[in-house]
Amino acid sequence: MKNKNVSSETITLGHGSGGELTRELLDNIILKTFSNPYLDQKHDGSIVKFEGEIAVSTDSFVITPIFFKGGNIGELAVHGTVNDVAMCGAIPKYLSLAFIIEEGLKISEFIKIVQSIKKVADESNVLIITGDTKVVERGKGDKIFINTTGFGEVHPKANISVQHINEGDKILVNGFIAQHGMAIMSEREGLEFESTIESDSTNLNFLVKDLLDEFGDQIKLFRDPTRGGLGTVLHEISNAISKGIFIKETFIPLEKQVAAACEMLGLDPLYVANEGVFLVIVDPSIATEVLTFMQNHIKGVNAAIIGEITNEHPNKVIMESLIGGKRIVNPLVGEQLPRIC
Amino acid sequence: MLKTYKISITGQVQGVGFRPYVYALSSQFNLKGTVSNNEQGVVIYISGKKDTVECFYQKLITSPPPVSKIKNHTFKEIKTIYFNDFKIIPSKKNGHLNLPLTPDFAICNDCKKELENNKNKRYHYPFTTCVNCGPRWAITQTFPFERNNTSIEKFKMCKTCLEEYTNPLNRRFHSQTNSCKTCGIQLELYNNKRELISISKHNIFHEIAQLLSKGKIIAIKNTSGYLLCCHAENSEVIQKLRIKKHRPNKPFAVLYPSLKKLQNEIQLNAQQLQSLTSTERPINIISLKNYTGKLALTEIAPKLNQLGVMLPYTGILQLLANELSFPIIATSGNIHGSPIISNNTEAFEKLKNVADYFLQHNLTIEHPQDDSVVKFSTTFKQEVLFRRSRGYAPNYLNTSLNSKEKILAMGAHLKSTITFYPNENLYVSQYLGVLDNFEVYNRFCKTSNNFMQLFEQQPNVILVDKHPLYQSTQYGKELAEKLNSKAVEIQHHKAHFTAILGEHNLFEEKVLGVIFDGTGYGNDANIWGGEFFNYENNTIKRIGQLENFDWLFGDKMATEPRVSLFAISPKEMLPFLKQKFTLNELNNYTNLKSKNKLKTSSVGRLFDAVASLLNIADFNSYEGEAAILLENSISSYNLKKCKLYCKTNSTGFSGKEIITNCYNDLKNGNTNEQIICNFLYTLASTILNFATKKDYKKIAFSGGVFQNTTLIDMLYELASKEIKLYFHKNLSPNDENISFGQLMYYLHINN
Ligand SMILES: [Fe+3]
Ligand SMILES: [Mg+2]
Ligand SMILES: [Zn+2]
Ligand SMILES: [Zn+2]
Repeated sequence: MKNKNVSSETITLGHGSGGELTRELLDNIILKTFSNPYLDQKHDGSIVKFEGEIAVSTDSFVITPIFFKGGNIGELAVHGTVNDVAMCGAIPKYLSLAFIIEEGLKISEFIKIVQSIKKVADESNVLIITGDTKVVERGKGDKIFINTTGFGEVHPKANISVQHINEGDKILVNGFIAQHGMAIMSEREGLEFESTIESDSTNLNFLVKDLLDEFGDQIKLFRDPTRGGLGTVLHEISNAISKGIFIKETFIPLEKQVAAACEMLGLDPLYVANEGVFLVIVDPSIATEVLTFMQNHIKGVNAAIIGEITNEHPNKVIMESLIGGKRIVNPLVGEQLPRIC
Repeated sequence: MLKTYKISITGQVQGVGFRPYVYALSSQFNLKGTVSNNEQGVVIYISGKKDTVECFYQKLITSPPPVSKIKNHTFKEIKTIYFNDFKIIPSKKNGHLNLPLTPDFAICNDCKKELENNKNKRYHYPFTTCVNCGPRWAITQTFPFERNNTSIEKFKMCKTCLEEYTNPLNRRFHSQTNSCKTCGIQLELYNNKRELISISKHNIFHEIAQLLSKGKIIAIKNTSGYLLCCHAENSEVIQKLRIKKHRPNKPFAVLYPSLKKLQNEIQLNAQQLQSLTSTERPINIISLKNYTGKLALTEIAPKLNQLGVMLPYTGILQLLANELSFPIIATSGNIHGSPIISNNTEAFEKLKNVADYFLQHNLTIEHPQDDSVVKFSTTFKQEVLFRRSRGYAPNYLNTSLNSKEKILAMGAHLKSTITFYPNENLYVSQYLGVLDNFEVYNRFCKTSNNFMQLFEQQPNVILVDKHPLYQSTQYGKELAEKLNSKAVEIQHHKAHFTAILGEHNLFEEKVLGVIFDGTGYGNDANIWGGEFFNYENNTIKRIGQLENFDWLFGDKMATEPRVSLFAISPKEMLPFLKQKFTLNELNNYTNLKSKNKLKTSSVGRLFDAVASLLNIADFNSYEGEAAILLENSISSYNLKKCKLYCKTNSTGFSGKEIITNCYNDLKNGNTNEQIICNFLYTLASTILNFATKKDYKKIAFSGGVFQNTTLIDMLYELASKEIKLYFHKNLSPNDENISFGQLMYYLHINN
């Protein structure tokens, strides 16, 4: 896209100098896109009002490629942080937004990213209230890095803590796992599968809010298994609570095409990254209710109960395989090294 | 002049009838004194004339009881004691256990005759044992080996059994496992709904033989664990067992009802005959050349020209065998990948969809063990242990160590074992299995804890593999933290090397180590598996290797030989590879291979690549399948007709060169058989060329590749007289030896 409001086709060091080009970039692209009462004051920062407790989460987004099937780095930067705030049992309200751009990024690509950010921020009902833009020399970045910090109001009924998790509590996920990681990998490596795999990048805050409205403190934990995948996150939880986690392979929602792609590349879907997936740990008494509730929600159509908390094998995640054997699920350490002789 | 002597004997001397033997011998020599077991072994105080006692001593150590193994013996005069008679003193525990444990012994001929003799009180009694035979390690709870320290304790000896036990002239004098129909262990036959069908009063084995002949699958609780049995000439039931056990192709072992029947169908050589009837009584893998019987071989050993056979080794199996007119499948009672089951409730739970009937008894099995497996090479009769378990575990007698530290070695991941050095002896556990399986992992942890309890020792040092993702490494490190002991990582292939150096005590020599296997984590974070090491002066140095090629797709490469072929093949072979992959696979794999960073020197994967190239196997359904099928694709070889597929250079050899030459030969119409012979010949020659170039006189071999007995025979045949070859003898060449190797490494290697 050629933008009539910006005088060059690519980002140059001048766009980060603080001079005229910077002003042009800010006014004509960023402020124009995100215009809201906070930003429009053009102050050094923003002053906002909160009721009760605040949840804050920050994340930096670094990804190759920056555009992929099912999303781009901009969407990811919003969804990632919105979801992290939501996982605290909060309703995300505001975001900060900081870019580090590598000299040479196409203005058109930048605009596309900014517009995606605007779109998904609106969808997620969050406002961008402060931001920053820096430009680094060619070779000192990877097209664009984005940092976002999210601020949210803790849901009045939320009482999220690993401490509340007991033996017998059920673990649910909201949908298919491993899609994001496989989409990124196939895009990056130029892989071909029978059909394209799309990233599942999406916001989860509305489903989280609705769950909290409905079930309140009977929900013990929300977690989004992003990097390291479901396996690694389950492992972290298991260690945090010094209890065991038992899951069944057949229960884990895994789309056929993604399963086949993982199989083709010798990857274990348990360790593949997700962006639109979260897990919920709830009291067993409400597990099926929560499941039905999630399945009736647009962000949880493929939800499933995948397992439970147990005292039988503290600090260990055990998965019952398709044929009934039990396997130890290790945390991901570096790459998936072969162990079979 | 009356003199008194103290005789101490160490070794495998408890639970083997040593004390009754000493008793009998003393009365032959008319000597007086005492004999007792202690935590070190057997102690004898004996008074008599010097000459007589010396004769007695000579006789004792030169011809001890049949199943005992003497390690050390001392003889010294002490202050004279006057004894009234000769007595066996019950053992008392007053220190830490410091003697070899006793393995399980196959039923002896005397006991066998008794249970077959309808005049004998033990007629048809399946738990007939004596001082020379029966379960030991399987039922050991604590030491010394006395009845009250075993799970047989809950069966109180009846009057006649007790008479035997206390009568010095009886074969069962002081036999700890003594029992009979009146006081002993009860058998019960259930259906898979857990309904009792019959009990041992009836001729239960006749009934079981009937069921087997009708094509039923029966879970039989033996004394070392459950076996799953079915008719070995009935292809339908074997196929059914395969599906239910989730074991599509891995060969099953066959139990022959008698040696006679076995020899009618299969030709045995002297070594096999000896092994099949030994007290260890392992499964023997035997060539099927000239096989004449009716076994359903396609289902028992798919695509193989060899078969694992064994003979009855317990009263249970013997009594069943006596009712059988056909051989049966006897395979470990488990779902493929899980540990062998030994508990009655667990058996019902886990095998209810596998077995139609359950033969159970009420003796608790403390240490479940699979059957051991051996194979002899065809020409040079080199014995290779494939699995070291029942009959061999948990001792390792053939070494003397000297370290103040208590050391526990955790072994590898796939064929896990534990080695413990808590005192002056060394203990190597039975094969425990693949540690990814949670139940195997639990048994692994339990075994290491049990070792510590049994010897009442905690390790100061815990040895683990360098691989960060081995479950044994992780557990070892957890344990070290808990016990506050030192954890030391040891590289996999160096541990293989020190295992073979340790077996032959070669630490004073200069030795070339040839370590070929599937995978191990290398010091350079690559995957090793085709290594040449130099050993001298307590240091090991890697001096050569199979040239690196790409390791692709994690564990997938080890389960799909076609991936190994892809990884190692030069570009020119791409058209050939098209038949083995989809277009997407080929494009993606080519793409990923060009960026791949993880490299390997695995000879195991080279075997896979050759097997795939020759269309022998593109996928493995069990570990090592491709390599086994490869070896089984040739019936014999003629070295004079073999040719070399690669050069030997100073740093090793190239797999790519080998594959390219195999491929050219294939294109030129050579037979698979000739190409395989050439391939094996190439490996053997390359090893020997490498050794000759560098002037080695001793070569030590370890790693799973040396389960290939054809390769072993070729090495023997090709080696010049000046070069001495060392293969494993009491341990398996595969990863079962890693725990032992780790210990040897720790004690002997400085770098
Ligand atoms: Fe190995
Ligand atoms: Mg974050
Ligand atoms: Zn006997
Ligand atoms: Zn009795």
